[in-house]
Amino acid sequence: MATISFRSLMLFSAVLRLFFIIYGEWQDTHMEVRYTDVDYLVFSDAAALMALGKSPYKRSTYRYSPLIAFLLIPNALIHRTWGKILFSVSDLLVGYFIRTILKLRGVPENLCTYSVMVWLLNPFTFTIGTRGNCEPIVCAMVLWIIICLMNGNLLHAAFWYGLVVHLRIYPIIYAFPIILTLDQSHFQSGKKPILTDWSSSKIQSTNGSGSIKITDPCHIWVSLKSMFTRGRLLFGLISAAVFFFCTGFFFYLYAWEFLHEALLYHLTRTDPRHNFSIYFYHIYLHYEHEFALSEKLISFLPQVTVQLVLIWRFAQDLPFCFFLQTLAFVAFNKVITAQYFVWFFCLLPLVLPWTNMKLKWEGWACILFWIGAQSHWLMWGYLLEFNGKHVFMQLWMASLLFLAANTYVMVTFILRHTSSPVFKRLEHGLSNIPTKID
Amino acid sequence: VGNLDDSNPSSSALHGVNEFITEAYFENHASLIDSDFQGFISKEIPPEFCEVLQDKLEPVPKLSISHRHLIGEGSHRRLSSSIRLEIQPGSKFTLPAHFCDAILVERLPSGVFADPFELQHLLQRGVFTGAAVFGDTNLELPSVRSNRSIVEIHMDIGPNILSGNNNGLEINLEVPLHARYAPLGENGFSRIEFSPPDLFTRCSFEGNSHKQSCIFLSTNTSFELKAGAVVWDVPCGIKKHTGIVSVVTFFSAIVSALLIVFTAFHYSDTTGCKNLKQM
Repeated sequence: MATISFRSLMLFSAVLRLFFIIYGEWQDTHMEVRYTDVDYLVFSDAAALMALGKSPYKRSTYRYSPLIAFLLIPNALIHRTWGKILFSVSDLLVGYFIRTILKLRGVPENLCTYSVMVWLLNPFTFTIGTRGNCEPIVCAMVLWIIICLMNGNLLHAAFWYGLVVHLRIYPIIYAFPIILTLDQSHFQSGKKPILTDWSSSKIQSTNGSGSIKITDPCHIWVSLKSMFTRGRLLFGLISAAVFFFCTGFFFYLYAWEFLHEALLYHLTRTDPRHNFSIYFYHIYLHYEHEFALSEKLISFLPQVTVQLVLIWRFAQDLPFCFFLQTLAFVAFNKVITAQYFVWFFCLLPLVLPWTNMKLKWEGWACILFWIGAQSHWLMWGYLLEFNGKHVFMQLWMASLLFLAANTYVMVTFILRHTSSPVFKRLEHGLSNIPTKID
Repeated sequence: VGNLDDSNPSSSALHGVNEFITEAYFENHASLIDSDFQGFISKEIPPEFCEVLQDKLEPVPKLSISHRHLIGEGSHRRLSSSIRLEIQPGSKFTLPAHFCDAILVERLPSGVFADPFELQHLLQRGVFTGAAVFGDTNLELPSVRSNRSIVEIHMDIGPNILSGNNNGLEINLEVPLHARYAPLGENGFSRIEFSPPDLFTRCSFEGNSHKQSCIFLSTNTSFELKAGAVVWDVPCGIKKHTGIVSVVTFFSAIVSALLIVFTAFHYSDTTGCKNLKQM
């Protein structure tokens, strides 16, 4: 297969996105069915309100941070496509960051390019930004946080982490693995962390496993004491400060409306309308009465258990941990919409160079099972919503199949993954060691 | 309230009268109750009466629905109404030049809503001259957690319609509507019935002392559906599914979680040598 230069790939991707932005404008004007996402209209209206000095929450169904509306104020002042261009640039930035992360770990050029192609040429990905969805910004921030950590810039990482949790709550699931990664053996004051190279064939034993081993009570006490390292405390304090500053500032500006729409709504959201989640029909059938505490806990338990085990097992292999956590978080969530898939799509290229899964046929099995289950669900969803057929049971069973597909993908990736903790142990007393890059 | 008026700048409301008829109702009422709304119409908009022009317009033209049905399938449909404006031969008009709107007020039944932003899009495309949604405009809540709403649509029926040679005029109007998630049922479908709309004609003209004034010609339709009331059967959840769905949902979640947990626990650190990727 002929090699494609990264520059050509980026150029092609940029042109592709520009084409779809222009096409989207044409379709919106000339066809009844819009290309543009409904959410983009919500952002634009909220931005227009903000430009007039009003609350963006006067726009019903605007459930995001005011920062999103602020970024889109030029929609009202310059041109309505400003936001789409911004999101598409973020989309391209994700591609650039993917390459940066892989190059930092010494992944060969062709493998880097193929991994980046998985993001840049994914039809789902390039339509997301060009239709006006803001998720590429969040994805770019998550990857930038990984880059900051890999470069040892804890303060930057903490700042952006606080900000991204403010923008979208879900990155809070990365808190524990980040904190665990900030081990004193990896991060020491004045020293850049050493990254594990892709081509190294030796797998480290204890730390290489990525799991945290605790043996006797004395070790537990030492482990607990060593948890509170300078790096961890700094990261926690700064990210928390940024998050609470943003929350406090916007609460001061927009009061309870902001708190409810941008934060509490997402924390307590249970949507009885059909979506990919296995819980949607259960929620609809119980919507006329409140859920018992036991019911809430039972639905929460699988999610929490999976998250904790994945963190415990893979925290040191940070991109892989993020990928699995995000995929699991989406799969077990009470509400799943298509835009959530982008959250783990942007992390998939970071794990591909370390998987032993061959495209033929394990890779194809994952792709076809996942896409097939999703398409199957969409078929029943179409029959319900657009044909008015009573297919609630079939749609719900399709959502169970989709959970099975997500589980299959996760299990396959775990079984085929080559463990590769991101950071190597620093020897005490050594002076600055540049990050090892091939 | 979703007030989206983009009406002809040459028409304006009579002093003290709202641009939208329905707006005044919700200023004094928290929710839509048919009897209250009928009383409001009777009190605020006397039938066939306009003080300004009562000597100049006789007999009053009639508005009626000639045809009404739902177009489309599924949860997103269009309520189509054909409105006929009948002007009796030999009617006496001594009106100045004027512009008229037909006003359709749909009191939506529980379980159906109109999207104000969608109506705004249609307004921008010139399909209506005015559109507004009053009442519960929440787009997401199911029927059991929502209240009723009213859609008021204004359609331009052309200039000088009352003094021309036309004996009548027919207007076709389609209002996009969406079904909410219906209350649970026994047989899988919930039936929604639409009551006849309220129809008005409002004309704006150049008066002697005032530059612009309005005529309200209101006609309560004695619309009798030839084929029965307009009905919309919406799929709904079945109560007897509750037990099995809950059990299987939680069982599936637990099984999937256990599979992932088991795999993670048994993941081997020494998972072979890494092979160079062959994509």
